[in-house]
Amino acid sequence: MSENWHSVTLKIPFASEKHALIAKRTIEVDPELQPHAVKRIITVEENILIAAFSTLTIRLARLVANAFLENVDLVVRTLEQFGEEAENPPSS
Amino acid sequence: MPGKIRKTPLIEAGRDYLALGLEGSANKFGAGIMKHPKDGAATVLSNIRHTYITPPGEGFQPRDTALHHREWALKIINDCLAKAGVSMHEIDCICFTKGPGMGAPLQSVVLVARTLSLLFNKPLVGVNHCVGHIEMGREITGAQNPVVLYVSGGNTQVIAYSRQCYRIFGETLDIAVGNCLDRFARIINLSNDPSPGYNIEQEAKKGKRLLSLPYATKGMDVSLSGILSAVEAYTLDKRFHVQEGAEDKDLITPQDLCFSLQETVFAMLVEITERAMAHIGSKEVLIVGGVGSNERLQQMMGIMAQERQGQVFATDERFCIDNGIMIAQAGLLSYRMGYETPLAKSTCTQRFRTDEVHVTWRA
Repeated sequence: MSENWHSVTLKIPFASEKHALIAKRTIEVDPELQPHAVKRIITVEENILIAAFSTLTIRLARLVANAFLENVDLVVRTLEQFGEEAENPPSS
Repeated sequence: MPGKIRKTPLIEAGRDYLALGLEGSANKFGAGIMKHPKDGAATVLSNIRHTYITPPGEGFQPRDTALHHREWALKIINDCLAKAGVSMHEIDCICFTKGPGMGAPLQSVVLVARTLSLLFNKPLVGVNHCVGHIEMGREITGAQNPVVLYVSGGNTQVIAYSRQCYRIFGETLDIAVGNCLDRFARIINLSNDPSPGYNIEQEAKKGKRLLSLPYATKGMDVSLSGILSAVEAYTLDKRFHVQEGAEDKDLITPQDLCFSLQETVFAMLVEITERAMAHIGSKEVLIVGGVGSNERLQQMMGIMAQERQGQVFATDERFCIDNGIMIAQAGLLSYRMGYETPLAKSTCTQRFRTDEVHVTWRA
């Protein structure tokens, strides 16, 4: 059955492995809305976030890839805004 | 009789606590920073909000609202920290709206919350939106044990506290009162700036006729969708004219309809609030939620409360309308009692009943 499914893999490099892991842990909390039609595996290799999707229809492939990228974009912008400050805690 | 005064289980702060609250369950994104000092009352350090305003005649859809929040969240959080003069490192916990509300907007906010939590190694605290309103209302007004009328675009509930639970005494059987008002504002094409409810309130002041609308209290509850249909039917009536005509003509203007709608639904809300007050013997009413900023509602509630030798507590639009500080307040109270939301459980939910929350911080 899975051979007729569509697959999309997205690889997104981050500034560091720490940031890639933050993205993974942030995004993977929310389950896919259609778990019977969408399989998702999110992993991190060094500083690269990898999301592998397997979907029943082409339309779902587009939707999950788009939603994932939108979520990554929000996380990336948040890391960009606050990343530097996080590395520099004030000396107590 | 209201419950006797029990000692609060909330232990002395011992040190200063700071919480960041993030709210985005509807069309407003808000961030706020609350301080619970080691001695003294809670202080609002900052409370900033941006509203997604749609063109007249249009409501806000989940997708566009989520996009709005994603666009504004980081700027507002930054402004909030700057205004409070506080850095993320000093924050004790990141509080976010777990629900109830619209799915996509809620999720957009929680993604930011999780990222910040992992970046700065701060615990997350999921907050019930309704409890946030109640706790902020209590904090600002100092009401001891009021019957709470929570009225907004998404919720309409009469709530009373008992044994660590905010119990729902009465509620809407279908749509929220704010939703009813907002949808009517769209029908008559009122501006959504600053909010449709505000503009209905202003138009209602110019109304001259009280038209007959169904009065639908059902015991402790209310039903509003029928009233919306009825007031919409008036706009199709041949007597309905947008322009004001001669005084003696049998005309119905939008102002008359705004006035009639408000008077009817507010009277219903006052009735179910009074029932709850009579039931538990309370003399205080606290109005929270966006519709609570309506001055006519406050006035009508005040008349009822006075007749019962009671009083009405209400906050201004800073705290009535959805905001981040109320999430920070409710979140910090539960955090101080040892509550945290683990990352894996930090999902959002569109349905989250007010009485599902274990109110550990009250006796």
